[in-house]
Amino acid sequence: MNCEVCQLKELEVEHFEIREVLRCILHTIVFHRALGLVRPKDIDLELFEITYVQCGDSELEKKIDEKIEQFISWVEKHPNKKSQICLSFYEVKKNKQASWFTNKIERLYWEHWYINLNVAQQARTHSSKSHHSKVVVDPGEGALDERSTRRAALEASLREVLFQIIKFVNEKKDHVPPIPNLEAVVSFPYEITIPSSSDSAFGMDIIKRMLQTGHPTMLS
Amino acid sequence: MANSHGNSHSEAAKLEQIITEFYAKSLQIVLESRSPYMSSRNYSGEQVVSSPSSSSSSSSSVRPRDKWFNLALRECPAALENIDLWRQSNLEPMVVDVILVQSPLDSDQVNFSLKKDVFRNLTMKERDPFCSNSDQEEFGCEGKSEKIIERWVVQYDSRKVRDCSSSGSRRSSNSSLHMFYKKSILLLRSLYVTVRLLPAYKVYRELTSSGKILPFSLAHRVSSFVEPITRREEAELQRFGFTPVDTPCGRLCLSVLYCPSVSDISSESSTPISPQVIHDYVGSPLADPLKRFPSLPVAGSTSHGSPSSSPFARRHSWSFDIYRSSPPSASFSPSPTHSEAHASISNSSSRRFPPTCLPPHPPETTLVHKKDTSFDEYYPSPAFSPSPSPSPSPSPPIRIPVSHLSKALLRSESAPVNIPEAKFVNSPSVSNKQNVPPSPPLKTTISSTSRTDKSLGLIQTGTAVEKSFSLGKEESRQHLGLKISSNSSLPISLSRSSSRSFPDDFDDSEFACAFDVDVDDVTDPGSRTESFEQKGLLCEPLEPGGLFPVRKSQDAAVGALVLMLRKAAPLCQDFSNSASLSQVSNPEAWSDGIQEPERTSEGPVPIQHVSSPSVMSSGLNVPRTTADALEELQGYREMKNLLLKQGSNSHI
Repeated sequence: MNCEVCQLKELEVEHFEIREVLRCILHTIVFHRALGLVRPKDIDLELFEITYVQCGDSELEKKIDEKIEQFISWVEKHPNKKSQICLSFYEVKKNKQASWFTNKIERLYWEHWYINLNVAQQARTHSSKSHHSKVVVDPGEGALDERSTRRAALEASLREVLFQIIKFVNEKKDHVPPIPNLEAVVSFPYEITIPSSSDSAFGMDIIKRMLQTGHPTMLS
Repeated sequence: MANSHGNSHSEAAKLEQIITEFYAKSLQIVLESRSPYMSSRNYSGEQVVSSPSSSSSSSSSVRPRDKWFNLALRECPAALENIDLWRQSNLEPMVVDVILVQSPLDSDQVNFSLKKDVFRNLTMKERDPFCSNSDQEEFGCEGKSEKIIERWVVQYDSRKVRDCSSSGSRRSSNSSLHMFYKKSILLLRSLYVTVRLLPAYKVYRELTSSGKILPFSLAHRVSSFVEPITRREEAELQRFGFTPVDTPCGRLCLSVLYCPSVSDISSESSTPISPQVIHDYVGSPLADPLKRFPSLPVAGSTSHGSPSSSPFARRHSWSFDIYRSSPPSASFSPSPTHSEAHASISNSSSRRFPPTCLPPHPPETTLVHKKDTSFDEYYPSPAFSPSPSPSPSPSPPIRIPVSHLSKALLRSESAPVNIPEAKFVNSPSVSNKQNVPPSPPLKTTISSTSRTDKSLGLIQTGTAVEKSFSLGKEESRQHLGLKISSNSSLPISLSRSSSRSFPDDFDDSEFACAFDVDVDDVTDPGSRTESFEQKGLLCEPLEPGGLFPVRKSQDAAVGALVLMLRKAAPLCQDFSNSASLSQVSNPEAWSDGIQEPERTSEGPVPIQHVSSPSVMSSGLNVPRTTADALEELQGYREMKNLLLKQGSNSHI
């Protein structure tokens, strides 16, 4: 089975924007891969005039938020680095006994989505503007202008990424496996890999992924 | 892989069914996010899950329909109507045009016309299956401009029968059917997301999320053929093509032509209106308010003015609504409650509003005080509260009706007297349900509750209508006074215009509505955003309008006062400074100040004078204190000044 890879356009975000941007992107991707019975839930971003769609699965929501928190803490430890988050969908391979000898059931990845973020340094933006200012308006007009300009640019880029997802979903349909579980909203097993996680327990997955796709999961 | 040949027929039937359902689903997805009055957004998240809102007939069918493509959508009546038609004409292309309807008139006029249109639309919808579009198709008549901002085309290109039946295709027909179904699910998922990313969605959101009356609306048209688009129009459109899905016998295509710049239109038009309206209201109200002193604080208390204000009628159109309630005087008592409600509502939506409420309605004082606590910073509420308790009562009647209704109503502005009727007409059901029993008129508000979140108080109303009914009932009561006004934001704008030039022309009823709306707007949303802008705007418009209206009818004047009061509350936030100042001295001033922070400088004093007489009649009697009276006087003075200015400017 083919494994398709989608590298999403890099987004330059500030620290406080990470959460919303990642939620938006991750949920949008999963919504396209949640082929079970879905009751779509519209979510309006607070920082941008964008509405994205969740598939209304609390488990998924929880998992995504957890991963985002992990990612954010990783970013705090590794400032000034470009970072990548990978959302992968796979099938569980049961046939080969050989797989039993490995510590995990073999996963056949059929799709990887790479979300590329460049977290801007706060200091670089403006010393006075700390991330806490996300909602609060900054005193300086110049700073405000700059900020709003930057915000608008990010919004446009985020929109681009969302369309990139849509286009990818449209163009690549053949590799999507048959829907295994119609009852589950999120019909395919998935995993979200972040840089920090790759350091530790996820080594195996990373290696596998590298072998399969040739793309290193870890960035940094 | 190979299925028996015998299956081919059934396969074909299944294929056809899938395609038919695909048409239906895609239509539903598009209209659900483009048809403002039945959108899921109104229902909020709950809808999605339960689709209760759709409750209507569809509810029963929801289940089976939801299973198609594993996508459970909220029921969309507009889509259902069309879908049934489509089932009969299977596999013809389906063209869905999303039309932006704009009124050419000035903002004021626009507002009015819009309101009318809305009504028409509503009725039309019911009548015309084809008009599925919600609201706007009907509009076309009044010189409004229609522009196709999106054209969705769902098309099935089938190969010749031979191809279909060819051995090759048959072999895998079963699996290919599954494949086709899976791909169509994917296609619909991406459609669902795409619809929300296109610029037209912003327009839809504005229409549904804000209580404002907007000079534009969305309509849709579903047909099986492509109406020609002028080259010029076409040049503005961009195309987004979804990757076609191959079937055993053909391919399913979905594409959209969309106008990339639509969002600009909506944003531009919407904002200006509300602010302007407010000013007018203020002006008119001011005059009335003066008379009504008591009411002043209680913008809502329109009632005060109502009696005396007949001359003011224009401005008061909205006030008229109030008047309606107010005249009955009895209503007053209720009104306070309303005001309170408003206040509370406003709080929820926008804290600022509450203050306005407070001042106007002394009776509400308790409420006011509460509010004050929250709002104290901004508003001098305390002063207000004491003063005009009376006025508040009237306000409730104003109801301003549901936002949706309000829009239509708003336009009506002209005759204060009528207004009440109009309001009723528009929001009869709504008002009845929600509002306050006490004030018959209570249009209160449907919309107010709807959505504060978006910052635009106005918006809330619109969307809310449905919601507001449900949500609003409780809230609406609260808001009725204030919030209602918020809902009516659109109306507010109308009111302004009406007060100035149009008032006479417009039906009383409409005006009233408009006014009401305006008032509401002011309180809620207006306070937030509009307040600032409006203040400035209002001052000018108000003056002219105020003068005339006052003369026209006392009731109108009263209404205007009420409106002002209501508006004032929102302003309070902005005006907090001015308001506080004024408040300190006079409660009424407050209201004035609130409404017209900007104005305050000019004519607070005069206003007070003017208003005092009328005010006295209704509101003053009730709760005022000497301090309040003083404040009121100041307010009247200002009002007078404004009126005089207006009179000189626009006097007939």
